[in-house]
Amino acid sequence: MARDLDGSQLQDMVYALAASPNFAVDGVCFAARQSGLHRSDDGGRTWRPLFDVLRLDALLSATSVALSPSFESDGAVFVGVPGGLLRSMDGGKNWSTALLPPPPPFISALAVSPNYANDGIVFAGTMEDGVFRSGDRGAHWEAWNFGLLDLNVLCLSISPDLAHDETLYAGTDSGVFRSTNGGRAWRETGFPTEAGPVLSLAVSPMFARDGVLFAGTESYGLFYSEDRGQSWQRVARRNIPRAVNAILLSPRFPQKPGILALTHNALLVSRDGGRSWSKRGTRAELKAGTTSVAAPSGFGQRSRLLVGLADGRVLRI
Amino acid sequence: MSIDYELDRFIKPLRSKDSQTPDVTFQPRAYQSVQRGINLIANVIRPTLGPLPRVVAIDPVMRGNAGPEILDDGGVIARRIVALPDQDADTGAMFLRQVLWRQHERAGDGTATTAVLFQSIYNQGIHYIVSGGNPMQMRSHLEEGLRVILDELESQAVPLKGQEKIAQFAETLCHDAPLATMLGEIFDIVGEHGQLEIREAHGRELEREYIGGAYFEGGLLSRLMFADPMKSRAELEDAVVLISDLAIQEPDQLVAIFQAVIEANIKSLMVIANEISEKALSFLLVASRDPAQFRAIAVKAPTDIGGQAALLQDLAVLTGGRAVLSAVGDTLNGVKLEDLGRARKVWANIEHFGVVAGKGSPRALRAHIAQLRAAFNKARDSQARQKIRERIGQLTGGSAVLWVGGISAVDIKARTEMAERTAEALRGAITKGVLPGGGAALLACRSKLQKMADQAEEPDERTPYRILSRALEEPTRTILHNAGYRPSEYMGKINQARPGFGFDVRSGKIVDMAEAGVIDSAGVLSHAVHAAVSSAALALTIDVLVHKKRPEMSLEP
Repeated sequence: MARDLDGSQLQDMVYALAASPNFAVDGVCFAARQSGLHRSDDGGRTWRPLFDVLRLDALLSATSVALSPSFESDGAVFVGVPGGLLRSMDGGKNWSTALLPPPPPFISALAVSPNYANDGIVFAGTMEDGVFRSGDRGAHWEAWNFGLLDLNVLCLSISPDLAHDETLYAGTDSGVFRSTNGGRAWRETGFPTEAGPVLSLAVSPMFARDGVLFAGTESYGLFYSEDRGQSWQRVARRNIPRAVNAILLSPRFPQKPGILALTHNALLVSRDGGRSWSKRGTRAELKAGTTSVAAPSGFGQRSRLLVGLADGRVLRI
Repeated sequence: MSIDYELDRFIKPLRSKDSQTPDVTFQPRAYQSVQRGINLIANVIRPTLGPLPRVVAIDPVMRGNAGPEILDDGGVIARRIVALPDQDADTGAMFLRQVLWRQHERAGDGTATTAVLFQSIYNQGIHYIVSGGNPMQMRSHLEEGLRVILDELESQAVPLKGQEKIAQFAETLCHDAPLATMLGEIFDIVGEHGQLEIREAHGRELEREYIGGAYFEGGLLSRLMFADPMKSRAELEDAVVLISDLAIQEPDQLVAIFQAVIEANIKSLMVIANEISEKALSFLLVASRDPAQFRAIAVKAPTDIGGQAALLQDLAVLTGGRAVLSAVGDTLNGVKLEDLGRARKVWANIEHFGVVAGKGSPRALRAHIAQLRAAFNKARDSQARQKIRERIGQLTGGSAVLWVGGISAVDIKARTEMAERTAEALRGAITKGVLPGGGAALLACRSKLQKMADQAEEPDERTPYRILSRALEEPTRTILHNAGYRPSEYMGKINQARPGFGFDVRSGKIVDMAEAGVIDSAGVLSHAVHAAVSSAALALTIDVLVHKKRPEMSLEP
């Protein structure tokens, strides 16, 4: 249980998790919580708050977090906070406020370009103001919402080949939108609007070739597309009947077609592209409610998964 | 009123004779005369087809010291030819002129292609009919063949996507690389229906600006509502919006709404109305005396003759409010808080107001836009299509402004007009895709027609398909001729090349046209083919010409 600055108990929640690309060696990961941003250097066993350095009068929630793909060299961390965004260039030791155009947006999702080292591009999805884009490593931001007919953005997912295909996806209240020009304009996809809200998205690591992506919804389970979002089909109805809070694909998908789907109280893993599913973790462990997941060491049986819970804890499963 | 219409009124009546009996022309003279008129118009426009066109010099409407008009746009050229002295030939000429002007209005381009296709079909068709062919069967099978051609073109079309491809295509239309690059970027962002305003700049450069959200004509009704007079712009965050076309005369009309807004702890209100009296404006200004607590601005409802209600309904969908319309008897009496729209930000200056991040239902917005897109596809009138497109553009999240500069005022004007024409053609290309250019896409349609001809049992069925197949070569032949090549020398080689390959008259080689960047808008080309074939099929059934008498008119007062 977290505590507020005055020592009173605080109902905490983990909104998002992010792990260092070099996690297997450095064990670094971050948890965006209601009580602020926390960092672990031992693979999620212990955590320390990072916002103390800000010397605030009240606790500052962290609603989302994302790391640079070259975190080990540039230390770039981006954190969504109510009304804005903070960024650190030294792994969370020091923070600066990123300037977003008013009115102050609520950051619901963050995504960093796979080519960040060269292009410096970061995207921020917001609850009412659509998608903001930065091209200078998060210093300045602009809203780019042409064609984004639903500005309630709940999740973002970027193509691994962004440098060439300039493609990314936004999951919103009413469905999935796609940009093919690096986030400067959006178009509707074929996702059925009645199946929204879309809480989670995952793009295949081989997207440039296979055009595969998955979308997790609030009430209608998991959807799959193999034509870049033009058409969708619902999958795993029996195993995943309702909310999908997070989706991860194995790093070598589709050769190793591992999928991880986080429902509100279960962690489901498929090793055959979604045909069959098994549970990871026990009901007792997850009964507090699952909110976020990270798989920094992959999907192997012995790989540790980090699962964020609605009570603020992070489990190592 | 256009100068052409004015001339029509004077020129045609002067040809009338005294007798009231209409002039009637029967066959074979009817065919001969109509064909003469058609050939005249088509032959005037034919030289303008292709990337190396020739131009047409036309006497100015008002003689004097002005030199001839030099034109290379087939639609405009056709429009300049008002009447022929021979009234029978004039019937044919005016028939084709009408077809070409409609093509120009609807598609903005493709008139020369329409003209040469029409001419070929008509001339071949007349030859068959005077030899005993059945004109009604001819028409029926030509229209069947048309459907096959259109299906084939649709299957060949590839999407025009991406900034680079759009810019490349734009350059083939405007021959202005910087302008093409700018248009490529703009349309890649705003999309085919996106709102784009093209304005003349004062300097030499091209500039563009992107404006988030929707904006409408109709500015602030009081300069006192500017928070910062130096900026001449008022902005409100998390505002509610009263959407109406009413004339608000008394402050009392606003009191109930104002109270509801205050009780809901909302700090910003935008009032949209056709008119607000000084007294009512004063009420809003007094209510806004402490902007930290509450602020209200009032803007004029967008003025659009015949379309204001539709624009207000669009605003209502965008913001989740209800349009309060005088036309249906609405007043402010029944307006509740939930009838007000909401937006994350609204702004207004002297001329416009805007809404950013309207809080209407996204599903309702998407459904509304889908309806507008369907209406756009059905609309036949170019003005109606333009209005619908503007509405779609306003609802899709933003717009762009392009300022076009040049080296002189004349250059700026010409460049701006070119930008407008190119933008129009780009919209069609982005919507319907692009095809291999230089006539290659049409040549690729011949094999299906040839099969249909081979399978036909009767000459009245076989001949129309062969006519179409031959006519589809005409644009390529004309482009070759205009560029100084002998068609007979090159058509054989082109016919042996693979589908999609054609003769690039600039390089002098047979190439994959799409890869070489020689592409045509699928929308424009399909319209051109449709116009040419269906109109020529109709023209071939003209059997008798009747010229009505008009009372003699004099130019004397």
